[in-house]
Amino acid sequence: MSMTKNSPVIIGESRLAHDLCDLCREKGIAATLLSRPEELTPAAPLVVETYTGDRHKKKLMLQKLDDFLAPASVIVSSCLGYSATHLASWIKKPERLVGFATFYPLKDRKIIELSAAMRSGEGSIAAAEVFFKSLDKETVRVKDCPGLTFPRILSLIINEAARSFEEGVATAEEIDVAMKLGVNYPQGPLRWADQIGLDEVLAVLEGLQRETGDDRYRPAPLLKRLVVAGFLGEASARGFYTYQEGQVKP
Amino acid sequence: MADKSEKIGVLGAGTMGAGIAQVSAQGGFDTLLFDIKQEFIDSGMGRIRGYLKGSRERGKITAEEERRILNRLHDTTRLEDFKDRHLIIEAVPEQLELKREIFKKVDALCGPETLIATNTSSFSVTAIAAATQVQERILGLHFFNPPPLMALVEVIQGDRTSKAAIETAINLMRQMGKTPAQAKDTPGFIVNRIARPFYNEALRVLGDGSASVETIDRIMKQAGNFRMGPFELMDLIGNDINFAATESLYRSFFEDARFRPSPIQHRMVMGGNLGRKTGRGFYVYDKK
Repeated sequence: MSMTKNSPVIIGESRLAHDLCDLCREKGIAATLLSRPEELTPAAPLVVETYTGDRHKKKLMLQKLDDFLAPASVIVSSCLGYSATHLASWIKKPERLVGFATFYPLKDRKIIELSAAMRSGEGSIAAAEVFFKSLDKETVRVKDCPGLTFPRILSLIINEAARSFEEGVATAEEIDVAMKLGVNYPQGPLRWADQIGLDEVLAVLEGLQRETGDDRYRPAPLLKRLVVAGFLGEASARGFYTYQEGQVKP
Repeated sequence: MADKSEKIGVLGAGTMGAGIAQVSAQGGFDTLLFDIKQEFIDSGMGRIRGYLKGSRERGKITAEEERRILNRLHDTTRLEDFKDRHLIIEAVPEQLELKREIFKKVDALCGPETLIATNTSSFSVTAIAAATQVQERILGLHFFNPPPLMALVEVIQGDRTSKAAIETAINLMRQMGKTPAQAKDTPGFIVNRIARPFYNEALRVLGDGSASVETIDRIMKQAGNFRMGPFELMDLIGNDINFAATESLYRSFFEDARFRPSPIQHRMVMGGNLGRKTGRGFYVYDKK
């Protein structure tokens, strides 16, 4: 599939970025996946920027996009770790930026949450809605904050599971079994975290802690250590569990 | 299910006690159900009979199985009858002094090999065990409501519970068809603690004015694949029960911000808007 002038561009290297690109192609949309903003054509009408890590890198990425892109282009940026308003404050044309927050894998997400930054233009939000609708995803607009609703609530559940595990309350397996059987969760929180990526979960917790100043969001020390050690979950074959060929190693 | 040799006792014939007695009898165990008044027992046994009748009518069990399960169930208002039990599960109301008092009596009554378990969800097993002489045989067996339907049992090891007691209890729970998950004696054990943010953070999101009750429920179901939204679930559980669980954890963790209860839910409890059972909670329900 060749890149056309009007096709959306996805920037990032995460599982979610690849997943989003695959989904576009499955729906017949000629999306391009790029790891660096320098590679894109200025005429791209919509760019989805999925980076959730280091603040400096995310800022630089958004600023480069803002410089390269034509004035009418829309930037849909992952607001897992920063509110959309915060992200928009880093660029010269804040009205073009819209926040979105979701977790890998997209096949499990019927709804994608969008957030208008304080300076987002109505046209930018509408463009983001059209884009996700073309992927057969419903969109919901919610108030701007890091992680929006589903990633925010799930990250707190995972954080509490990580704390319980770290404190030796129970093993990872028993925590996951208990949450599936005791309250019917679709997945155990630690196994779920490994699937999403521990770095993405940590980004939400740190974002909420930074922007609200509330102690309830402070991340479990174990979660921080796993992320800095590079044990991000399934993607790096180790997180709360160890994986071999995509399966949990006993 | 074939008859098993161990004898089980259940203290308290309320919703949890009667449900646990039913699970035990269904698992093939001779089961003795205690309460302080015959009318409480009759009400609990009535619920068990009704449940089993329903199971038979839906073809889940045969009339013969129903008869055998009921034959394994006995009742008493005399605590002394618990002398010959191998495992006793306490499910009396959640009051620490009441639980301690009954543990003290049963501990004095039974030989040291009898395991005595509490179904508490809000107290420390160690705190209850402190009322007894043989603390090694005291443990927690936390069933979920309704016990016949919920597969999980949290098996709680108090500070002085022996490994052997935990292993025996785990084995008995498996024989009752349950999936045990072993946990240390910490506030909320596994489930009540880790599930707290599902309710409490949803309340915070609502309080922030980020999204409506309906929208948050829809997002958690459609984006998160949760079977129910947090507000639907709080209305089902009862806002009073749910608030009390959050408040108990908040106190147990010495006012850690992670468990701070929501003023919205507090107001609903004070206003009597408890959920389905009062016809009004986060949603309005048709009065039957």
